[in-house]
Amino acid sequence: MADSELCIDCGECIRWCRHGAVRAATAKPADLKRFKYTVALPALTLYSQFGKDVEPGQVLRALKSLGFDEVYDLSAMCDMHASATDAYLSECRGPWPKISVTCPAVIHLILLRYPDMIENLLPIEPARELAAKLLRRRLAEERGLDPTDIGLFFITPCSAILHSIHSPVGLESSYLDGAFSIAEFYGPLLRAIKALGPVENPPPISARGLLWAMAGGEIAGLRDANTITVAGARDVLRVFDHIEEGKLQAVDFIEAYICPDGCISGPLTVEGRYAARRTIQRIVRRHGQRVGEGSVIPEEKVRALLREHFFDLEEHLQARPLRPLGRNLREAVERRREVQRLLSRLPGKDCAACGAPTCAALAEDVVRGEASLSDCVFVRIEGLLEAAASTKGPGHE
Amino acid sequence: MKEPLYAESFKIRGGDFEHGGEVATRIKSICKELGIRPDLIRRLSIANFEAEMNVIMYADEADLCFQVSTEDVRVVVADRGQGISDIELAMTPGWSTATAEMRARGFGAGLGLPNIRNSVDEFRVDSRPGAGTTLTYVVRIA
Repeated sequence: MADSELCIDCGECIRWCRHGAVRAATAKPADLKRFKYTVALPALTLYSQFGKDVEPGQVLRALKSLGFDEVYDLSAMCDMHASATDAYLSECRGPWPKISVTCPAVIHLILLRYPDMIENLLPIEPARELAAKLLRRRLAEERGLDPTDIGLFFITPCSAILHSIHSPVGLESSYLDGAFSIAEFYGPLLRAIKALGPVENPPPISARGLLWAMAGGEIAGLRDANTITVAGARDVLRVFDHIEEGKLQAVDFIEAYICPDGCISGPLTVEGRYAARRTIQRIVRRHGQRVGEGSVIPEEKVRALLREHFFDLEEHLQARPLRPLGRNLREAVERRREVQRLLSRLPGKDCAACGAPTCAALAEDVVRGEASLSDCVFVRIEGLLEAAASTKGPGHE
Repeated sequence: MKEPLYAESFKIRGGDFEHGGEVATRIKSICKELGIRPDLIRRLSIANFEAEMNVIMYADEADLCFQVSTEDVRVVVADRGQGISDIELAMTPGWSTATAEMRARGFGAGLGLPNIRNSVDEFRVDSRPGAGTTLTYVVRIA
């Protein structure tokens, strides 16, 4: 069972549960009825799910046919985000490296385990939130709608983004109203794409923005920064440990994802990540050729938004550091010794059958009073064998 | 120094680039468990990492002893190795005896000892050329 205080929304529980017992609490179709005007904002990953020959325009049209008043392509906003990042990095004075804010699980990891690295996070809102902010503003103006009558729904590849909409960090409240998962829309979308056929006038897609669907895409669009991409929880931990030790200061920007290949490998996607990567690369090639370098955003537009601080992170990020073992140093030291003593009684197999991920984690839970040593099946078996031996008494075989 | 409440020793082997930084990482997680302030842990970690890499690059082996009292964290890194003949020179930013191979790995910028000095509250280097070097540094936590 996950400890909500320690959970960073990596979504691995959803990915690995063979019985489908862990599910993301996505929006319900009835939620759409609360609004007069609804818009779906699909993660760029959605374009990677239906094979290399299906155009983003077809996916967007199919999505609209499922009952939204409008659909919104995020590639242009990711493109603008890259320009805003370029502008920020050229004026920033450190601490280095700056870390991308695209993956909410990475942000949670930093707030929890690397609180001293909060200043390294890029102080720009994620592209999906900026898109929702801009879109709500535009729709209210253009259509004379009350902003609260506009329902903006993200189509998400992961539970981390879903949770970031319900409990945002760096924002008082999300500009999005909810999220559906790519997986739950997959079947209806596939049927609609087939039924509707090719699109006559496809909408412009930014190749520079589209690359954001996969690890390496965010930095690919940056002008001339010294950058690194890291993906997958284990590697992210390694690289963040290095940053904390003061290494990697020569790096300007790190793009980090909890999922092994960025958003295309999110736990709520359907298509395999290798096929998804190929599909994105194909689409980028088709669109990149059409629009020169792949950017579709006039620089003047980005400059105007920069002047009004449109991209800026709205709230200061608050650390939620791990609880120390004790209330003071003396108690913490005493409890750490106790953890070490308990560890010598545990099998060290890290089997996780007790519910804790490792023997060390169980020992810590026991010392904190949140678990019992007999939660360990090996300790329990040992206890039973000892009890059986003592009732038989000496002399028995 | 006050009586240490906690002490642990770690072995570091010279030339062990593969595990470089692991001792610093382990000490960091102990400090987090003990509730030491994040900014202090960060300063200590920078010093520990530099000290660990110094052993790996220049010495045969070392014992890193880590002690925590209510007032400070004290680290003593005693290595067996070539020692430092001119400590003042070794403390000069940019001065290094690193080989081309070490530089190719991104080490040997000549900032190791100056970085430790800048990260901690007390720093001392004792060395006997041909025998070894002992670094002692303290980060105050009270």
